[in-house]
Amino acid sequence: MITIDQQQKLLLNISRRLTRKITIYAIGGTAMMFLGFKDSTLDIDLVFENEKDREVFKEAITSLGYLSMDAIAVYGKKRNTPEMFKLSDERFDLFINEVIDFIFSDNMRRRAEQIHQFEDKLILKIADPHDIILMKCATDRIKDKDDARRIINSTKINWNLIIDEAKNQMELGKNRAVFDLGCFLEDIKTGMNLDIPMDVLDKLFLIVEKQAKDKRNIQ
Amino acid sequence: METRELVQKLEGIQTIESVMDILKVNKQMAIYYIHRLRKEGYVKTKKQSNNIRVYSISLNNKLRGKSYYEIINLYSPIKISTPIIYNIYGKEISLEETLIYAIKTKSLRTILASLALFKKINDWKKLYHLAKENNVERQVGALYDLSHKIIKVRRMNNKFRNNALPKEKDKFEYIIQGLKSNDFIDIEKKWKVYIPFNKKDLEGYK
Repeated sequence: MITIDQQQKLLLNISRRLTRKITIYAIGGTAMMFLGFKDSTLDIDLVFENEKDREVFKEAITSLGYLSMDAIAVYGKKRNTPEMFKLSDERFDLFINEVIDFIFSDNMRRRAEQIHQFEDKLILKIADPHDIILMKCATDRIKDKDDARRIINSTKINWNLIIDEAKNQMELGKNRAVFDLGCFLEDIKTGMNLDIPMDVLDKLFLIVEKQAKDKRNIQ
Repeated sequence: METRELVQKLEGIQTIESVMDILKVNKQMAIYYIHRLRKEGYVKTKKQSNNIRVYSISLNNKLRGKSYYEIINLYSPIKISTPIIYNIYGKEISLEETLIYAIKTKSLRTILASLALFKKINDWKKLYHLAKENNVERQVGALYDLSHKIIKVRRMNNKFRNNALPKEKDKFEYIIQGLKSNDFIDIEKKWKVYIPFNKKDLEGYK
């Protein structure tokens, strides 16, 4: 587990080891800590804009002693899994643009308004809470549902924004996005007794139905 | 009550009385809640001249970074609220960087408040380097001349002025798209930059 203070020290240490300035997006527990939803996290999930930036970051964390680990242990055989690095309890999950079956879209980048700069070289943008929910749906690890519950319970959710982004994901070629989101939200609604409006799920599954019909018509 | 809920309800500037009002609790409970939030790092306390304690409560206090807006508010008579969180860790933020950040926000009030920074700016080499990097040399020059009209500022280094002044081929540029001045046309012509303020906008500096 890493606390807010420890995380800041770690990010400062990484910044000092970077060979050039990079901008990255925090999408998971780290983002939740900066937004005040959590006090500590196990894994630091980051999205990079390109492979070169991830390489520079990887060099910095390996110089701190982080070791590469196999993503299959955590994500199974999913697509677009991150490169993972571990040191004792702490873990970095490093994605590039795509997070499993979702794309970290331009809209998501625009919504990441909160910025934290560590010395001169590391700029960390914090994903919007709505997008963190979508990313939690994408990664869907054991603790992700609990994190999504925490966000939904602590802040006012604009469900239309989430539905619109799921549609946007479809337009970007991520056909499973709406279906995955519908299932994820249905799971946490029933399993955790969360107050997710029924019409949100209806809208999502209506889109899935239409998607299926369109596919059949094409065939 | 959960900490996040508490912070959300009390976010902003509070006194014990306002905390009692918002949470509908007695004085003892209000003091307890403030104590709890302070322990977790969410509270900054100030004492006013009349001895009343004022609590600034924010999630941002816990993060302990410093923002450009804090620097602007430190030096400017025009105070601005923080529209977005941009925190910097592990380095001192210079006034030169803060000025360039303010210009790049293209926010009328942020730029207006940042004019006060010219009172303290003295590293013209650094300012020119940053301005050039961000393509705002002429904007900085024009805003300096504007500040010079309303407040006492440090003298601009000649090298900065000579390097930043527009060349013949340069076209007019906006600081904020679409905004021109009726009162500072002389500065606009000199720097080929439209000033987004009129005299009335600068009354906060009197």
